Amino acid sequence: MTVLNELDVLVDWKNGLVAPAIHVDEEVYRTEAARVFGRSWLLVGHEQMVPTPGTYITNYMGEVPVIVSRDRRGEIHVLVNKCSHRGNQVCLFDRGKARGFACSYHGWSYGLDGTLNGIPVEDFAYREGVDKSQLGLEKVAKVANYGGLLFATFDAGAPELESWLGEDGRWWLDNLVLSQDLGGLELLPGFHRYHSPGNWKLAAENFFGDTYHVYTATHVAWIGVCVDYMKQGNLAPMIDYPSGTNSTHLNAATGVEPGRTPFGMGMLVMDQEVYKRDYAEAQRLGPEAVEWVEHRFHVRQKAFEGRADWPYGFMHAGMFPNAGLMGFISPLVGRHFLQFHPRGAQAHETWQWTMVEREAPQVVKEVAAQRVFQGQHPAGLIAPDDVENFERILEATVPDRNRTRPFHYGQQLGHETEGPAGYPGQVGPSPSEANQRAFYRHWLELMDRG
Amino acid sequence: MANWERKLEIEELLAREAHLLDERRFKEWLEWLTDDVEYVMPLREYVQGDVAPAGHPIIRDDRTMIEVRLAKDETGYSHSELPESMTCHVVSNVVVDDIEGSNEVLVRSTFLVRQARKLRDEAWWAGRRLDRLRPVDGTWKLARREVHLDATILPRGISIFF
Repeated sequence: MTVLNELDVLVDWKNGLVAPAIHVDEEVYRTEAARVFGRSWLLVGHEQMVPTPGTYITNYMGEVPVIVSRDRRGEIHVLVNKCSHRGNQVCLFDRGKARGFACSYHGWSYGLDGTLNGIPVEDFAYREGVDKSQLGLEKVAKVANYGGLLFATFDAGAPELESWLGEDGRWWLDNLVLSQDLGGLELLPGFHRYHSPGNWKLAAENFFGDTYHVYTATHVAWIGVCVDYMKQGNLAPMIDYPSGTNSTHLNAATGVEPGRTPFGMGMLVMDQEVYKRDYAEAQRLGPEAVEWVEHRFHVRQKAFEGRADWPYGFMHAGMFPNAGLMGFISPLVGRHFLQFHPRGAQAHETWQWTMVEREAPQVVKEVAAQRVFQGQHPAGLIAPDDVENFERILEATVPDRNRTRPFHYGQQLGHETEGPAGYPGQVGPSPSEANQRAFYRHWLELMDRG
Repeated sequence: MANWERKLEIEELLAREAHLLDERRFKEWLEWLTDDVEYVMPLREYVQGDVAPAGHPIIRDDRTMIEVRLAKDETGYSHSELPESMTCHVVSNVVVDDIEGSNEVLVRSTFLVRQARKLRDEAWWAGRRLDRLRPVDGTWKLARREVHLDATILPRGISIFF
C-alpha cells in the first residue's frame, strides 16, 4: 500500500489530522509536482521586477526554471528556461536586461518573447528547412497580472486568475497586501534566498495560519528581547516593533469552501491599537511620517465608515500553494513576499522580496525595509528559528514508522467563523488552525483529481 | 616597502578574533568593535546588464543590533542557536592597505567557516571580508566589516558572525 493510495485517510483535514507522510514521501512529491504545481496559479514575481523592455528575472514554478521577461512591446512573458534543441538552460542570471537569450550549447538564440530567432548553420544543417515557429522557448500556458503581482500556470484549462483568487480573496489582497487604495507598493529589487530542510508545505502552512508558534515557543527569544529593550527605552528597528501586542488577534481566510482555492491570513488586527503605536513611531521619524500615517488612517477610516472593527493590518498570510506574505500589521514594516520552492520531498528553498508603500516618506521606506531584513529574513531575528524547527521536524518524521501518526490541526475546529461578521470570507478567533485545514483540504482535492 | 609589523599585528588580531568567535566569548568580541561599528552583508546575485542595484542588503547592523542578536541568544530560547552551533573560522589571505585621507586601514581577508549543529546538520560558509580598522589607544578596533559570502542561495539561516 503506497502513501499515495492512502491520502484520503492520511489527510483527514475535517478532523484536523494530517499525517507527516505527505511531507517526506517521494511518490507524493512527484505526484504533487504534476497535480498541485502543474495546475495551480503560481506567483512568479512582480511587474516592477521587469520595469522596461528587455528586463527579465529568473525564477521557479515548482522545480521548473522559468524566465519572466518584458518584450520590446512591453508585454510580459513567462518562458520555460530550457532550450528547445537539447534542453540547456538559456539564461543563467538572476535578473538583467538583454535583447534575448542564447543557448551556450549550440547557440540557438531566442527573443524576449521566446521566439526562436537564430539557428547556427541553419541553411546547411537543415537542408529541407526547419520550422522555427514551432521551436521557440516553451511559453507557460497562462500568465496574469494582479495588482502588479505576476502569476502563471502550466494548466491551459485553469480558471482565470481573478476567479481563482475569488472576489473575497481579491478584497483582502487589494486592501491589506497591495494597499491599492493608498497608492500601492514599491519594489526593492533583489531576491533573498536560503535553503531550508523540510517539505515546502511545512513553510506554506506556517504562513497560511500558524500564528500560534510566534509567541508560544518559536520566536519567544526575539519577543523577549523586544520587551526588554522597549522597557529600557533602547531602540533598534526590529526590536521596538513587535506590533500588535495590545490588540485582539483574529484569523481570516477566503476560499474555504470545497473546490475553492484558499487564501489564509493569520494574526489579523481589526482594532486601532497598532495605529497608536504607528503614530508614536511616526512622531520619532518626523512630521512627514506623522502626516502620512494620519492620511493612511483617514483613508481607511472613511472606507470602513460606520464600523469600529476594520482591518488595520495582517501579520502573515499564505496563497495556495507556495506563496507566503507578511505585513507585520504595520505599514512601518515593509511587506514580505515569499516563495517556498520545492527541492525534493525533504527540502525547500525560500525566495523572498521586499516592498514598501509607495507614498510613504523616504524615512519610513528605509526603516520599513530595515525591519524586513532584521526579522523574517535569512539573517534576521525570526526566520532562522523557523528553519531550525523544520530541520528538527524532518529528523523526527523520516523514519517509516513515524510517518503515519497524524499531526494535530484541531485549533478552533467548529469555531472558524466566530469573528467580526460582514467581511469577505471568514473571520475567526486566533490562534487557529482553520487556515491549515483549508490548505490541506484543497491540496487533497488536487491530489485526488488524478 | 610593505609595513610588515602592521600586517603581522593585524593578522594576529584577526586570528584572536576568530578564536573569540569560535569560543563564543562574545562579550570580549564586542570590545573589539567601535561604538559606531557597521556590520554589512550585501546581497550577492548574478546580474546582467544595466539594472537597478539590490534594494537592501542581507545584514546592515549597528552596534545595538549586534548586541540584540547576542541578547537574543542569551535568553536560552533562541532555537537556531540551541544547542549552540560549533563554529570554526579559518581566516586567511590578509592584506592591509592605507585609506587615503584617513587614519583607518582597509584589511581584506578571506574566510572559511564551518558551522556544525546538532548531530549531523552543518553549513559551510566561504567568502571575503573587507574590514576598516581604526587605531584606538595603541591598538586597532573594527569600525566596519563588509562580508561578501560566496553564495546566492544561503545554505541555512544565518545565526553566527563572520
